[in-house]
Amino acid sequence: MSWIKEGELSLWERFCANIIKAGPVPKHIAFIMDGNRRYAKKCQVERQEGHSQGFNKLAETLRWCLNLGILEVTVYAFSIENFKRSKSEVDGLLDLARQKFSCLMEEQCFLNVCFAYTSRHEITNAVREMAWGVEQGLLEPSDVSESLLDKCLYSNHSPHPDILIRTSGEVRLSDFLLWQTSHSCLVFQPVLWPEYTFWNLCEAILQFQMNHGALQKARDMYAEERKRHQLERDQAAVTEQLLREGLQANADAQLRRTRLHKLSAKREERVQGFLQALELKRADWLALLGTAPA
Amino acid sequence: MARLQALIQGVLRALLWRALQALLCRHRALISAPRVRPSTWSWIWWLPKPLANRGNPRRSPDPHLHPHSHGYPHGDPALGAMHPGLRWHLDGRTLHKLPVHLGLLITELEHSFSDVASIVVWCVAVGISYVSVYDHQGIFKRNNSRLMEEILKRQELLGLDCSRYSVELAESNDKDGLVLNCGSAVQVLSPEDGKAGIVRAAQDFCQLVAQQQRRATDLNVDVFDDLLRSQGFPDPDLVLKFGSVDSTLGFPPWQIRLTEIISLPSHLNLNYEDFFSALCLYAASEPRLGK
Repeated sequence: MSWIKEGELSLWERFCANIIKAGPVPKHIAFIMDGNRRYAKKCQVERQEGHSQGFNKLAETLRWCLNLGILEVTVYAFSIENFKRSKSEVDGLLDLARQKFSCLMEEQCFLNVCFAYTSRHEITNAVREMAWGVEQGLLEPSDVSESLLDKCLYSNHSPHPDILIRTSGEVRLSDFLLWQTSHSCLVFQPVLWPEYTFWNLCEAILQFQMNHGALQKARDMYAEERKRHQLERDQAAVTEQLLREGLQANADAQLRRTRLHKLSAKREERVQGFLQALELKRADWLALLGTAPA
Repeated sequence: MARLQALIQGVLRALLWRALQALLCRHRALISAPRVRPSTWSWIWWLPKPLANRGNPRRSPDPHLHPHSHGYPHGDPALGAMHPGLRWHLDGRTLHKLPVHLGLLITELEHSFSDVASIVVWCVAVGISYVSVYDHQGIFKRNNSRLMEEILKRQELLGLDCSRYSVELAESNDKDGLVLNCGSAVQVLSPEDGKAGIVRAAQDFCQLVAQQQRRATDLNVDVFDDLLRSQGFPDPDLVLKFGSVDSTLGFPPWQIRLTEIISLPSHLNLNYEDFFSALCLYAASEPRLGK
């Protein structure tokens, strides 16, 4: 992990990390790294220096996460809204990002950087992809579901974040991972990002651990409800099918079961076909990006 | 020998972890009642100064703002004699900004219809135009009419002038809403209105595409936002989250992109002062919108 900041934890930090690991450890943490500019103002340095310190803090935080066994981190680096900043600041940030992120490819843990990102665009894009699937004849409108939408998001290869941490004291989501964090533990911490410490991270994880039981329960309840709704819709579809064929809707339980099974199997087939086509479409688009003139 | 050592270490670690959790639970319980926390718990920066006094010289914790109290406040018989509804309305006017739409997010397992009704009545009286009530189990939604009755009962109990506050039930399509004649509207939400709502809107759009009435490329954020807009409610400016669970638990995610989330320990027996403190905290916040 060459570019992730060198240096093991101190003895005391390692001791506390070991205690924390006795409880449930998050697999994926998302950070809204807020406070770089306020930090720069506070230290009376250029904004660019604030962002640079912010990046150094990110490198350090990734080290702590690795030590704690957290292998996936998603960060909000730059929103479309941030393009409202001055040209020099935007250019500076883009240069910094290009510099610092160029050596990421060989790392084994996952760092997802949300760059020029808003959640609403991501969700809308996912719906547009499904609509494209319908246009192509790969999907039926009734195939659209929460799990399919999940698979059409940019973050489809990652599990939903266990924790969303926002620094600098702001208590908003600011259009970041709105869909993915609906059952995540939200931790709002007043510290400015460049001043984030190992103890701040431990505090966030302890908070996650305290919420873990309740959140798991809520997630399970939600999943059960979704399954029940899907089953109800499928039952209604089977009833409609049988009536259309002039058969009795309630007649044969075995027939209903067979029809139900066939309905969901066909849907699964369509969904897999669509997802494969989507993967190809994205790969083509990325390849095109790669060959585009700089 | 090495195995025994590892076993002892494991047990010690687990015990220390449990001790730490117990300590934090206790600390959290101590600091969370009864005042407002502007974020989730953090002992590092807990501010003991009563928020009700901050930046607002007229405000002071006044037990006589509670609808069921009697007697006179210290030093100002005029305020004591004032009708609570009018007092709350004036309180709203003192704030630098009020949320246009306020969401009440109940994460607790215990639900009190009367307490939620009180909070809704305060919201309306203070001048908030739209109020949403949400819980992740859908209890309020399933018992929507009971909640609405409690709200009306509370208004009658307070003797709020019927001609100003008389109630009309909104035309309900998929949501049951209540339009209060003073210009405020109340809606009750559940997880059905969150991600499931986004999925329904997506299905509707895909249906139009299947019928060749729309193209996939027609869809952008604004178009989708229109499809999701419910009963003319704008996005919530503020969500008051009640209970110790630090999550939105499926509160409509699309709508809360810029929403301030302020936590309160519980909606049970919440008093007006703590509610108003949360509004003061909101009034002091500054959305930076990417700048």
